[in-house]
Amino acid sequence: MERKEISVLHYLLLLPGVGFIVLFIGSSIFITITQSFGLFSITGKSQFTMENWKAIFHDKESLDSILFSLKMGLLSSIGTLLFAFPVALFLRKGGAGKRFLASLIKIPLFIPALVAAFLIINLISYHGIVNEALIALHIIKKPLRMLNDKFGWGVVAIQVWKNIPFVLLILSSSLASIRDDTVDAARNLGAGTFAVLFRIYVPLAMPGILVSMILMFIKAFGDFAITSVAGPTYPPSIALRMRNTATLFQEWDKAAVLGVIIILTTLFITWLYSRLAEFVTGSK
Amino acid sequence: MAELAIAKKQKTPWYVSQARRKRSFAILLTTFFIVMQIVWVGLPIFMTVLWSLVDPNHPWSYPNILPEKLSWGQWVYVFKYTNIIRALKTSYTIAPFAVLLSFILSLPTAYVLGRKQIPGKKFFQTIVLLPIIMPGMVVALFLSRVFTAFGLAQSFIGLVLAHTLMGLPYMIRVLTTSFEAIPQDIIDAAENLGANTFTKIKDIFLPMVRPGLLAGMVFAFTTSIEEFNLTFIIGTPTFETIPTILYSFLGYNFIRTNASVVALIMMIPNIVMLFAVENILKSDYLSASLGKL
Repeated sequence: MERKEISVLHYLLLLPGVGFIVLFIGSSIFITITQSFGLFSITGKSQFTMENWKAIFHDKESLDSILFSLKMGLLSSIGTLLFAFPVALFLRKGGAGKRFLASLIKIPLFIPALVAAFLIINLISYHGIVNEALIALHIIKKPLRMLNDKFGWGVVAIQVWKNIPFVLLILSSSLASIRDDTVDAARNLGAGTFAVLFRIYVPLAMPGILVSMILMFIKAFGDFAITSVAGPTYPPSIALRMRNTATLFQEWDKAAVLGVIIILTTLFITWLYSRLAEFVTGSK
Repeated sequence: MAELAIAKKQKTPWYVSQARRKRSFAILLTTFFIVMQIVWVGLPIFMTVLWSLVDPNHPWSYPNILPEKLSWGQWVYVFKYTNIIRALKTSYTIAPFAVLLSFILSLPTAYVLGRKQIPGKKFFQTIVLLPIIMPGMVVALFLSRVFTAFGLAQSFIGLVLAHTLMGLPYMIRVLTTSFEAIPQDIIDAAENLGANTFTKIKDIFLPMVRPGLLAGMVFAFTTSIEEFNLTFIIGTPTFETIPTILYSFLGYNFIRTNASVVALIMMIPNIVMLFAVENILKSDYLSASLGKL
């Protein structure tokens, strides 16, 4: 009897922090979903309708923006991983100078996204230092358009630069859990560098790799600030499109549809991750 | 003589020379990574510092590799003719309130998550991460609808609540790990000696989570300073913070030199805090607080 009372107290103690988050995040998700169906509309009348959903799926700019954001999410997550994984492997073992290196690498983590965007814009702009250096080395003849380019490479570059330390932290902790015995045993049995990399490190660090890729995807997919500063003029990112629909055109219900699409994609990706993690670790 | 030299050479066993080669290779690799990293992180920052120091009367344009003349002119201009001072005040007033509120809210929650085995703990730990996982713009736009309905949009309290929301996950997580790290023996010993709940909180929990608390506060503080999405939707145009000012400098009126100054104003305190926290977390705080007992 007493035990039960104590556990009720525990849930009450959870309430301030968890309750606050549930209240605010929950209410915003609730409003997003209901408004996408025309309910709880603050402007205009409220009634259940599918019109907004139809309108979004017939709107070319919205569809383009969804595809663009998916592309940015995928490329940013892969790009960050490709840069961060070798560094994480290198930092796994301590050594002279590595502490210094580790704290150098962490710097972008504490640089706000907008500032990071600006720092990289400076480098990759039309007459920026990257273009000038490439021309000086006779690799290219004319400056490349990397900023506000049609494809979105500028956005990917900023995402990668800003998020390497974040991914590195996740990867390092999952690489740290790999025991040296396993690696030594593999080497003892004649495994070369590549075999150790692809049959020990990568599979054992897979949960960390997946988590970091998912989080990166969600970040880049729902990004507003970086794309609106460094992205192409068309298409906008889905978050930018949503914000414009809501505040410029005052079509909140249609913006809500885009919001639901963002949330659903995020959920779907997270679900996919949990399935993949089960598959990789082989446990249910 | 030549034969002797060869014999000497052969005396160095193969494994020693291999180990030597390996070590020098490792040092080479570390140096390479450090140089790369200095360019990778340092160059963008260095360029921004340069841009912020370009003299207003001697513009730095394409053929010149370095600016003709350096001066503090841009800094003076930004402080004189833009809203930066007001934005700084707003940013640095909201942040302490948000940190305090998130501390008060997360202390009991982190205690339960860190020390108690309750059903559904994993679920609550995931819920706590929602503000980080949820796409910022969706939360910002539709939370602003809720805030408008309750009269909180375009208000100081609304902004403090929004910033608290974004800082809570970090605060709760850091505090949870600090609570987890307290050895049960100490609590048992205190209980054995007749400590009541109040004494336990005052003499065990608070002192032992203090380093974690400091780290959590720094995280919540920097999150608040750099928060953009919610501030932009809920606060503009009534409130301007440093990120929203920077956004306007990067958007329709792109002035690189002014943006450089604002970027540095925003970035420098953050980097200083990063190293401050690192130093705190480096010292083994658990043994330190144990020594005081």
